[in-house]
Amino acid sequence: MASKEILRVSDLCVDLFTQRSVIRPVDGVSYSVAAGETLAIVGESGSGKTVLNFAPLGLMPTGVNVDLSGSILFNDTELVGIAEPALRKLRGGSIGTIFQDPMSALNPARTIGRQIAEVSELHMGLSSSQAESRALDLLKLVRMSDPDARLKQYPHELSGGLRQRVMIAIAVAAEPQLLIADEPTTALDVTVQAQIIALLKDLQKRLNMAIVLITHDMGVVAGIASRVAVMYAGRVAEYGPVGDVLVEPRHPYTMGLIDAIPRADDAPGSLFRGLPGAPPILGAPIPGCAFAPRCHAAIESCHITRPALVSTVQPLVSAACPIINKHNHGGAYVQH
Amino acid sequence: MLTLVSRRLRNSLVLLMLATLLCFTLVVSAPGNIAVLIAELRTPKATFADIHKIELELGLDQPIVTRYSHWLTGALQGNLGISYKTGEDIGPALSSRLPITATLVAGGATFAMLFSFVLGFAGALWPGRFADVATRTIALLGASMPSFFVGALLIYGLAVQLRLLPTFGSEGLSSWILPWITIGLLPAAVLSRVVRVGLEEAMSRPFALTAVAKGLTRRTILVRHALPNIAPTYINALGAQTGAMVVGAVVVEPLFALKGVADLFLSGVLFRDFMVVQACLLVFISFFVVLNLLVDIGMMFTDPKLRRQGS
Ligand SMILES: Nc1ncnc2c1ncn2[C@@H]1O[C@H](COP(=O)(O)OP(=O)(O)O)[C@@H](O)[C@H]1O
Ligand code: SF4
Ligand SMILES: [Mg+2]
Repeated sequence: MASKEILRVSDLCVDLFTQRSVIRPVDGVSYSVAAGETLAIVGESGSGKTVLNFAPLGLMPTGVNVDLSGSILFNDTELVGIAEPALRKLRGGSIGTIFQDPMSALNPARTIGRQIAEVSELHMGLSSSQAESRALDLLKLVRMSDPDARLKQYPHELSGGLRQRVMIAIAVAAEPQLLIADEPTTALDVTVQAQIIALLKDLQKRLNMAIVLITHDMGVVAGIASRVAVMYAGRVAEYGPVGDVLVEPRHPYTMGLIDAIPRADDAPGSLFRGLPGAPPILGAPIPGCAFAPRCHAAIESCHITRPALVSTVQPLVSAACPIINKHNHGGAYVQH
Repeated sequence: MLTLVSRRLRNSLVLLMLATLLCFTLVVSAPGNIAVLIAELRTPKATFADIHKIELELGLDQPIVTRYSHWLTGALQGNLGISYKTGEDIGPALSSRLPITATLVAGGATFAMLFSFVLGFAGALWPGRFADVATRTIALLGASMPSFFVGALLIYGLAVQLRLLPTFGSEGLSSWILPWITIGLLPAAVLSRVVRVGLEEAMSRPFALTAVAKGLTRRTILVRHALPNIAPTYINALGAQTGAMVVGAVVVEPLFALKGVADLFLSGVLFRDFMVVQACLLVFISFFVVLNLLVDIGMMFTDPKLRRQGS
């Protein structure tokens, strides 16, 4: 992994102000992404994955005010506190985005062709006819059947899988260096999911772009990512190379997630094996380890001191659990 | 597409026939003996014989169905009967008045469209700023002020006090400005709210976030992404508001001494001149039906889902 680092997130906190409440769904998160690699961000629903990635890009729904602290370096450009016009140039240009629900992410009143073409018009300075023919190429690139006809169609005429291909075409239209895909397969049929993941891998190779893939599916992580960050209640619980983390997890939460992956020997129709309990509801700050109420290894001190994310016995893996890791390590990183 | 339009057209014709039947029945069953009225108009001391003669002359002794079919076949040939009051043919009177009402309504609708687009769009682009507050206020005032009051205010302010515009008469375009504003102001306010609220709703939908993620500016997103989505709703509302201008015309035409169809209708009602009332209602109903048809076609063109169904 000698390639250049294109994204470095350091100690990022995101506060959301809505009419009713102030919450901190992202609390001191750090990770980095190298050019051309895939980082997976995993965690249960509500753990802050979407806010972590979209709030700094100004992609929160209307009516939510965002306050950022920490640092996000994208190719030496600081995104925390960046002016809107500069950020706008990055969005859709060097940073592409794919949303979870392709059914609502496309404009129902405009043709597929126009919706793809406008990205290259904006970021590559193409004329509308040039952009139109580029849209056709992009539809071929995302392996759309009958691309000529698709250009003139409207979103409601396409299936969910095809709409997600259109979204991918939009996201990569300006050949971004970084693609952020927020659960791109969650809303799709199981058979289509694998196709979309395969397509993303293929595009990554062709366009040499880095991907941040948000998912709650450990199977997807194993299939595409080189590194993984496991999130719990707005914090990173474990972070490291996929091979290490999936084979020998260093955090009880990661262990639980891996254990929850459905296996071939499960009885058909058996319930999700999952972790017992539910993630905490965000509100008052949690003083200790957020996972403590659900953790089988928790001891008293876990409820008091917040565990830091530190290196483990495997040097490339860091985990925020001093209890599991204290016997394996020289003690220098262990905190109580 | 064409089959869908022709189906709508056929429905419109059926609707028109039903509506003429209804309007004929309504007017015939209205209280007041028209023969007595006419007899008194013609000879101050009318006898029962005079009245009976007039009843025969008008065909009032015939069964309702016969009277309706006479009236309808005549109407289809442009023969709308004679006015009980003046004894003149209604057809020519109506056709000389039609352009005036048409100008009034078309101008009012155009004013309402321009006004609502400019202010509704500005309100959505700069929420809470001047244009936004102005349309809100005008919409609120407009909804609580009857149009004769708006008209009176405009006449007093612009024509009497400032002497900017003529209050009535036919001095070309400038004499139309006050009537257009008077009839169009409330629809304009209502429609600018339709634009403003519709754009805001569209901007909160997920596809607007996709547009932000593309790097488009808010203005571009409003024009390219939000506007096409409110088109069907807007056309529908514009149709309803334009239809309602017929009611507005009944107030505005007398106010500005415009001799239009609505003015004729009003005097027809006052004199129980029911041939005139029928003829005017027929014009109004035809207008509603055509307007509805245009709205349907307009919505079909702007809503991709409806458009594909038709082809
Ligand atoms: N638009 C919003 N308004 C208010 N709270 C939000 C909004 N979006 C997310 N949140 C809150 O932020 C937290 C993290 O949400 P999210 O990032 O969507 O989680 P994930 O993507 O991991 O499922 C949740 O508690 C959620 O309630
Ligand atoms: S710090 Fe304690 S509660 Fe948290 S994961 Fe480790 S053992 Fe469990
Ligand atoms: Mg999410």
